[in-house]
Amino acid sequence: MPRYAMAIDLAACVGCAACSVACKLENEVPVGVNRLWIRSTELGTFPHLTVEYRPEQCLHCANPPCVPVCPTGCCYIGEGGLVLLEERRCIGCAACIAACPYDARYMHPAGYVGKCDFCEHRVRAGRVPACVETCPTLCRYFGDLDDPNSTVSVALREAGRVDVLRPELGTKPKLFYLNTPAKFGLAGNHQEVVS
Amino acid sequence: MIEFYALPNSGIFWSWPKLVHYTLVALAGGTALLTALAALRHDPKLRTYAILAIVLIALDMLVLWAGSPSALRFTHIWLFLSFNPQSAIWLGSWGLVISALLCLLLALNLGPRRVWGGILVLSALVALLYPGLMMAVNVNRPLWTPLLLAFFPVTGLLIALAAAVVLRQRWLAPWLAGLSLASAALGALYLADLALGHTEAREALAHFWHLGGPLFALGLALLLASPALIKRLPLIAGLLPLVGAVLTRSLIIDIGQFQPFGF
Repeated sequence: MPRYAMAIDLAACVGCAACSVACKLENEVPVGVNRLWIRSTELGTFPHLTVEYRPEQCLHCANPPCVPVCPTGCCYIGEGGLVLLEERRCIGCAACIAACPYDARYMHPAGYVGKCDFCEHRVRAGRVPACVETCPTLCRYFGDLDDPNSTVSVALREAGRVDVLRPELGTKPKLFYLNTPAKFGLAGNHQEVVS
Repeated sequence: MIEFYALPNSGIFWSWPKLVHYTLVALAGGTALLTALAALRHDPKLRTYAILAIVLIALDMLVLWAGSPSALRFTHIWLFLSFNPQSAIWLGSWGLVISALLCLLLALNLGPRRVWGGILVLSALVALLYPGLMMAVNVNRPLWTPLLLAFFPVTGLLIALAAAVVLRQRWLAPWLAGLSLASAALGALYLADLALGHTEAREALAHFWHLGGPLFALGLALLLASPALIKRLPLIAGLLPLVGAVLTRSLIIDIGQFQPFGF
């Protein structure tokens, strides 16, 4: 069984938010909530300055805190290690929203929880997620971690340093960041991105 | 400076119906526990307690259902068609339903009273314990600490006893004094634990104090004041911890939704 993951090269991301728009359209995400957003942070002190554009979404953790708290089992780890939701069983209790350390989940106006599913419907059809396909700088890599020749495996191998968000929580995210400002000594006072 | 294109989903996810639920579940669980004790002691008030517990459980479930964003999808049935004992909400749901069923049997005087009473002690304790558990498992939210595993059941039982004392169940007054002091001590310990914790905990405490510190302190003061008034003014002595416990619990639930990662 594959183990899907995504890597984002922050040195290549220009913060255009095309991924966010593509996600909205592909998944018909309602107004006011988001599956994908861009955090832009000014880092460093003059003259060593940079602006980090960091796309954030569900990290499809290998050890997701959102899954065990679900009282109906509607939140589960699906094929390929994707953290998925079965909407028809969701009671809207928001326990998973409370448990998510990354604010990646939202309450859909129809009364169930929504989140990024790495465009599972596209992946099942052999395509990449909409955000990956639409990125104009090709900063996103998607594929099977267990396949050494997949684009994501190659990118991770060649990166030298790989960062994840809030590793201290032990969630083991499968959304990786490459070439973060931290790699170049410009992490500033932001502690989220740590090797 | 941090800016966003589109925003992370970091808003409030448990609004006022959840706060009402947390008060009602305390009343329901505590009353169910009193019913269990009455059953074990052959108390003549057993039937009254049992009916009151059923009404409170039904009211709590009604509030939960009506306040749920998926109320009209009628998906709550899945709580009882699935087996997820690792989830605090699943445990709490079953705790309440089993408590209601046992209270009904006790009210109708059907079956072995002491056996039902013994099981009811366990199911009522589950109902009292589950709110604290539901919050304490979220290690990502620094204001929801493991201390809530003690604070919520103790204050939950206190709410039920205080309401009973207000309703002239004076024999519970000595228990009320002890629980009031225990709740105040746990509340103070909660603040001290955050103050002595790591950087994120201290930042969260500053956020908590900024938004609700004086009200929380008032809640603790009400809890502390109650024992001194029990003999002279039992009605007031019942009202003070009732307000104090509801206030402190609501502040922890509401402000505790804060997560430093969002902004």
